[in-house]
Amino acid sequence: MTTTTSPVYYARRFNQYVSELWRRRDFVWFFARGNIKARNASTFLGLVWWVLNPLLLGLVYFFIFGLIFPSERDIAYLLSGMFVFHYSSQSLTGGAASILSNSKLLANIRFPRLILPIAFLLESTFGFLASLVVFYAIVIPFAGVVPGPEILILLVALPLQILFNLGLAAATARLAVPFRDINNLIPYLNRIWLYTSPIIWPLSMLTGMSETAQSLFRLNPMFPIIALYRTALLGYPLESADLIAAVIWCVVAGVVGIAMFIKYEGRMVRYL
Amino acid sequence: MSRPALKVENVSVRFRPYVDRRPTLRRSLATFRHKETQLVEALKSVSFEVQRGEAFGIVGQNGAGKSTLLRVMARTLRPDDGRVVVRGRMSTLLQLGVGFNAELSGSRNIYLGGLVAGLTKKQVDERYDEIVEYSELGEAIYRPMKTYSSGMFSRLAFAVAMHLDPEILLLDEVLAVGDEGFKEKSMATMNELLSKSGSIVFVSHAVRQLAEFCDRAAWLDRGQLVAIGDAEDVVEQYRAFVQQRRKEMRAQGLA
Repeated sequence: MTTTTSPVYYARRFNQYVSELWRRRDFVWFFARGNIKARNASTFLGLVWWVLNPLLLGLVYFFIFGLIFPSERDIAYLLSGMFVFHYSSQSLTGGAASILSNSKLLANIRFPRLILPIAFLLESTFGFLASLVVFYAIVIPFAGVVPGPEILILLVALPLQILFNLGLAAATARLAVPFRDINNLIPYLNRIWLYTSPIIWPLSMLTGMSETAQSLFRLNPMFPIIALYRTALLGYPLESADLIAAVIWCVVAGVVGIAMFIKYEGRMVRYL
Repeated sequence: MSRPALKVENVSVRFRPYVDRRPTLRRSLATFRHKETQLVEALKSVSFEVQRGEAFGIVGQNGAGKSTLLRVMARTLRPDDGRVVVRGRMSTLLQLGVGFNAELSGSRNIYLGGLVAGLTKKQVDERYDEIVEYSELGEAIYRPMKTYSSGMFSRLAFAVAMHLDPEILLLDEVLAVGDEGFKEKSMATMNELLSKSGSIVFVSHAVRQLAEFCDRAAWLDRGQLVAIGDAEDVVEQYRAFVQQRRKEMRAQGLA
């Protein structure tokens, strides 16, 4: 006999939820692929925009801040940060959008609601992987970067970021579905997040700062996540502090975001 | 006596328009302060059972709570009070073409519709040919669904819903699917479902048709169950009520 507040009860509920999700894995796959196909059908460049958006943004900053980045080698630094950042920042709006644009589905069919943010995440992961290919296509000839054995770090970085993004997408969906105002704030949050992440300014900028200022910048989850990728993609030395911070951030964001979402999803249909 | 396929027990649903419908930050802060709660009761303690092999109709005027009730039965809307017990595989056709992506072909949408309802890829594979044949879409199945007429759209939606092997089918205003020929076929399929001791619940404003098809019916008015029983009796009462209302309104209009 378990009461409705015991951990055993929640563990069992969560187990059920996961097995329901697992049962619909084919749907997630078809749904994500269908969305990509539909996007390709409705815009001329389709999925290419997933890569083009961060690429163009990166190039704009590269030319504008040519003074900050004196060497063309730095394009590898800038683009790696930009692609990784773009992948996470998409999740801020994508989670809520995946719920709001499928309101009919939610009202009519019973299924674990988390499959919609998961399908979105799958879609954006395709885009991110494509952008990594484009990344190498640019930096190998222009910045002389050669992928080394460190690229295996991707096998750690990517799952961690997927977990982080899912948490982010789930949490923002939980908040932005009832409070639509939040959607208006997100572009500004994204802008602040971009400027406080080590993308358009070099890491050396930190060395001139006070201890407190430095640790504030390091509190940004994007900081250790991008650091992991720069090790994987550019062979930067990996600091164990970054690895630990990335793991903590991703696991906490993932668990908290998913829990917030599942706890709330029964009420979601009332706000559509 | 077998157990009912669907049991609705004391179900109440309340919407708080200011908090629930358009909950901006400002409004919800205001609610915290003033405890301003203006409740709209969409359903007030509704109870009934639907037996196996039974066609059950729900009638009522616009805004009576019929669609809310169907959503509660489909368990996509959690009631504030009461509960719903479902015994069997349920398939819902509350709106046509739910889960479909109009940019994609009918063929891909068969997979989307089947998978979201909980079938596996393999199960959809097995039923695919039958669904296409049933929908009578022919080569059009490979065209994007945005090119379909509404009749074609609903035929495919109905075909998918019926091939989920439902034991309980919920329908909202979709009896009039397709042309005469298809209508007959869909009726035959539903009768077959009933004879296999499946259950059908449907909501329709075509009350004459509903009385003919259903064994029992319930009449819902402003969230409350007014009458429940033999379909023809309930529909008769409901029609008398609507005619009376219309007469009163006409009298008021003249006065």
